Amino acid sequence: MTNMVAINNKLHSGLKVTDDALSLGANQHLVPVVVSELSKLIVHYPVVITKFNDSGQFGLSALLGFEENENLFWQQGEWDAVYIPAQFERLPFYVGTEAQGADSSDRVLCIDMDNASVSEEKGTPLFDNTGEPSNYLLEKQQVLAQLLDGETQNQHFIAALQQHNLITPLTLDITFENESKTSITGLYTIDEDKLAALSADAIADLHARHMLQSIYTMVASNAQIYALIDKKNKANKNADAWFQTTN
Amino acid sequence: MTTATPITHIVVVGGGSAGWLTAGRIAAQHQCATRKDIKVTLVESPNVPIIGVGEGTWPTMRSTLIAFGISETTFIKECDATFKQGAKFAKWTTGEESDFYYHPLMLPQGFSQTNLGPYWQTVAPELNESFSHAVCVQEAICEAGCAPKSIRHAEFAGTANYAYHLDAGKFTAFLTKHCTEKLGVQHVLADVNHVESFDSGDIKALHTEQGVTVEGDLFVDCTGFKSMLLGEHYKVPFIPCDDVLFIDRALAVHVPYDTPQSPIASHTISTAQDAGWIWDIGLQSRRGVGHVYSSRHQSKDDAYARLDTYVRQTSSLNGIDDINVKDITIQSGHRQRFWQNNCVAVGLAAGFLEPLEASALVLVELSASMIAEQLPANRAVMDIVAKRFNDTFSYRWQRIIDFLKLHYMLSKREDSPFWRDNRDSHTIPDSLKELLALWQYHPPSDKDFTSNNEVFPAASYQYVLYGMGFTSQLGTHQQWVNADFAKQQLMQNRKARSMAVEKLPKHRELINKIHQFGLQAV
Repeated sequence: MTNMVAINNKLHSGLKVTDDALSLGANQHLVPVVVSELSKLIVHYPVVITKFNDSGQFGLSALLGFEENENLFWQQGEWDAVYIPAQFERLPFYVGTEAQGADSSDRVLCIDMDNASVSEEKGTPLFDNTGEPSNYLLEKQQVLAQLLDGETQNQHFIAALQQHNLITPLTLDITFENESKTSITGLYTIDEDKLAALSADAIADLHARHMLQSIYTMVASNAQIYALIDKKNKANKNADAWFQTTN
Repeated sequence: MTTATPITHIVVVGGGSAGWLTAGRIAAQHQCATRKDIKVTLVESPNVPIIGVGEGTWPTMRSTLIAFGISETTFIKECDATFKQGAKFAKWTTGEESDFYYHPLMLPQGFSQTNLGPYWQTVAPELNESFSHAVCVQEAICEAGCAPKSIRHAEFAGTANYAYHLDAGKFTAFLTKHCTEKLGVQHVLADVNHVESFDSGDIKALHTEQGVTVEGDLFVDCTGFKSMLLGEHYKVPFIPCDDVLFIDRALAVHVPYDTPQSPIASHTISTAQDAGWIWDIGLQSRRGVGHVYSSRHQSKDDAYARLDTYVRQTSSLNGIDDINVKDITIQSGHRQRFWQNNCVAVGLAAGFLEPLEASALVLVELSASMIAEQLPANRAVMDIVAKRFNDTFSYRWQRIIDFLKLHYMLSKREDSPFWRDNRDSHTIPDSLKELLALWQYHPPSDKDFTSNNEVFPAASYQYVLYGMGFTSQLGTHQQWVNADFAKQQLMQNRKARSMAVEKLPKHRELINKIHQFGLQAV
């Protein structure tokens, strides 16, 4: 259960947060990402295009595992990577809206009071002694702002990809070292042939809109699928070893 | 026109769905919008209204739309179109309230590996599941009011096979715009009043009341029941088949939904009546409902009363007195030939059969693609192409007539002369009698149909035969028995059935989402 409340420096002056909130992502094999974090994501994650369940519209996601509920970056209770996707990094904070009148509303910073990471006992404080937001809280606010801006940026980016027919289905047929097989559908990626065939005008247009680099970053991120397969092979080995010792 | 004259100008006469589907199909195939070697002109009377029936399609319509370069999202939005997953036949076998069967659009489970028919027939008494329900997911999807796909499926892709229901008027307007703006079809609005011929009998040009003359190398007659070129000009005889199929009249109405968000059926509902049947097709904004009947067996007043009762029972309308009732005369049958000299007829100009299996538009699509793909290079080879076209479509019309008759002859209804007359041996074509004689001992199978030009696959015969209670007397030498495999197929279907119903959205919900978000191209 979640219990969202708007953060207030008087009510929440003693509140602290540990990094346990990340465990919310322990069972997620895909996480929505924004264009502005692509250059950091590429260090670990394959970034793919997926469809939203309720609308079928395209969005950007980092691939974390090969089946539902599998996050290969969540190892022994912690996130095993230097860069954590903004969607997880911001936890347990959210953006809420507060009605200001009949037809206007303001965005407010909220926290999930029911999250195990939130207490008055341990973790990093949200406010300093004078009631000013701590550096920790300011950082989280920045991440949330990045995600908010990212919604519009993502839409423009996807629209540009569609305009140039650059989205193509990506089917992964993988055989792991232990002979187990998986086939993953529902993922999409940049069509590299169509990208290579784009006219000079189209390239110049994408470049002027600061999208060309993002497109190539996404293409390059596909190589991380091999790193992810490697993670899975290691995870399988650990599982097999465990299976042998307990038998 | 000399024999070596290349065929470069195709003139289509008539601006209904047949005309535009044929003109567009040829123009798309030969890239008329960008290349100039082939020209397609469509001559349409500004005064003759289109007939505008034919709201049911086959899955072939998806290939047709793809060939035209049409977006499925745009098509759905602009043609009031919905998804069709087959037909539900109610009261055809016994006439009782509980009597129904499905003819879905998907092949039985494991169809390429085995014939589940005889296995199903053997286990049916304990299984207590109809053939279509036991071997196919689609009946369950339709009964649950679900769509064949979700908003995450790309355009033209889906979980279940599908066709469309559409508003024929809107579809024609949509095709007109697409064909003229995107596919390079020339559009001439004029009334043809004189056909000018060469000595050979070939058509040289069409003269019009408006003074425009249109010359051409190949003329496609899409003038509807009038059959202006093939029928009136060439006098190719009409071969009626009203001795086999008795339907000759239709009363058609548009029925509003109770609310704008009322559920939409994802299948054609065909409910048998005393002397015919009632079609019920769900579009987005309304239903199309009509009663086709045999005027030899029923008066118009009686047919009107049946339709009135049906509309009362299935909507909140107080009968049909206050809505527009279209009265249509149908002549079942087809021309003796479809291609004569340099003229070929497509659509109603070629023939008409009752809309029981939505065969009208699919015959247009099949004709259009054969003309487009085998467009004669010059006059010399045209007669060969014409002969092949005539052979192919004579065969296809016969197979459709047989298949439609099958629905009637298998009925056990005794309540009216219409149904009893339909079982009269004299009214059943020999080709159909032969199949039935075979199936009395051999379970119907894919091997029974050997032509490349088959319209209905063996699976369709199975759905109708088993749906209407037909059984074969299985002998000891039937080679079907791999009971384990068959059992496994039924299990798989059962699993797929519940998963599909659980995951697929309701039909109305998907239509709403297509309006809101659109389907993606990939």
